[in-house]
Amino acid sequence: MMPLLVFRERVRGFYQKKDIYLIPAAKFIFAFIAFLQINREIGYDSRFLSIPIVLAISLISAFTPSSIMVLFALALATLHVYYISPFLSIIVIIMLLIIYLLFARFTPRLGYVLLAVPILYMMGIPYMIPILLGLIFTPIAIIPTACGVFIYYIFQVIKAAINSQSNTSVEDILKLYTGVIDSLLGNKPMIMSIVIFALILLVVYYVRRMRFDYAFEISIAAGALTSILGFLFSDLIFDQTNQILSMILGTIFSAAIVFVIHFFELTLDYSGAERVQFEDDVYYYYVKAIPKVNVTPPQVKVKHINVKSSGHGLYRSEIRKQDIEQDDDYDEDEDINSDNTED
Amino acid sequence: MLNNNRIRLMTKLALYESKEGKEDIHLSKYYKTDYVRYEIIKSIICSTLGYVLILTLVFIYKSEYLIGNAVTLNYKAIGTDVLGIYIMIIAVYGLGTAVLSSVKYDKSRKKLGKYYKLLKRLNKLYNDETPEV
Repeated sequence: MMPLLVFRERVRGFYQKKDIYLIPAAKFIFAFIAFLQINREIGYDSRFLSIPIVLAISLISAFTPSSIMVLFALALATLHVYYISPFLSIIVIIMLLIIYLLFARFTPRLGYVLLAVPILYMMGIPYMIPILLGLIFTPIAIIPTACGVFIYYIFQVIKAAINSQSNTSVEDILKLYTGVIDSLLGNKPMIMSIVIFALILLVVYYVRRMRFDYAFEISIAAGALTSILGFLFSDLIFDQTNQILSMILGTIFSAAIVFVIHFFELTLDYSGAERVQFEDDVYYYYVKAIPKVNVTPPQVKVKHINVKSSGHGLYRSEIRKQDIEQDDDYDEDEDINSDNTED
Repeated sequence: MLNNNRIRLMTKLALYESKEGKEDIHLSKYYKTDYVRYEIIKSIICSTLGYVLILTLVFIYKSEYLIGNAVTLNYKAIGTDVLGIYIMIIAVYGLGTAVLSSVKYDKSRKKLGKYYKLLKRLNKLYNDETPEV
């Protein structure tokens, strides 16, 4: 276990030092994968299929807030639909607007979930999202997760409709439209997925809040189990037995990813370094605040056989003592975010 | 001269200001009732728009039937249904927003109280350091 912990500290140390480069890089990679997946899934308009364009919009999303990325992705998907059928693209826009106005508006910080769920669906690991959100968020995350599932199924239905579309007289368009609505509202696997995802999220959330050892790890396992049982049930009901194997593998893989994320504690807000600027009458301050690391990586020790070196040890213990004394003047209620109330 | 204690305090304050404090400070410009009312109005407008869009979709979906039976339709019943559902949606969203936003406001006030306490302490550090002549 120790080498693993040391490795974790190294990774976190690296992240804390270089987070100013790592976060845009991670966002760039995620955006690139997302846009590529969209192109692969519904890439009708060949103008947007070229790699330079995908690279360019990924680069823009790397340096802008995550909501911009979500907007780009939805716009890209809608433009692809527009290329084939302007009418269907209007329906897509209206549905996305309804989702935003009635649901997604209330969880602005979880906007990226709307994009992540469909993308992970295409990659076969959508189970990751409810497990992860149950771990780091409250049950209100059910709303964006459900919206994400809905968005995925909207584009699935639209894709099926486009494939069956032949000509574009007014009557056909109307028929196409009623077909889309019918297959969307009567889509029992979609409703089942939404229910199961909500269930996973709740299970993970409540297990992790229980007071026993390894509650977090057990909650991940419980979430994975809920997912496997739930989707097994739904696959058997809807006769999709060919999906069972990929579902189980996908769930295990998702749980593993969530476990890695949890292990490195990358989900915590304060895991990175912070940079702030302020000034007083005399100085400008540019402060970089780096969180303290708990497990120090072992130093290489050279054992001298012929020299007595007790001085080193003394010196180090002195420094430790100083550190601790300095820490003493840290005051609990200085923490604005701590929940203790004095009154 | 640099004062480590003060720098610590200022860093903490600056961190808070640059992150969640931004919203708290923005909220502190409103009275609670004003803020809650403003949020309710926003939410009602949004849910109205959403409802209108849903109605549009339903209308297109049923358009064949609606146009075919335009003469014999019971407009009064349809109107009451549409209005009834609308009032229900508005009520749910309005009440939900009222509860959520007032909880949010109280929370942010609490955090802001701690922030002001730290500001006071900072001010005291300043006064101790530069005694008035």
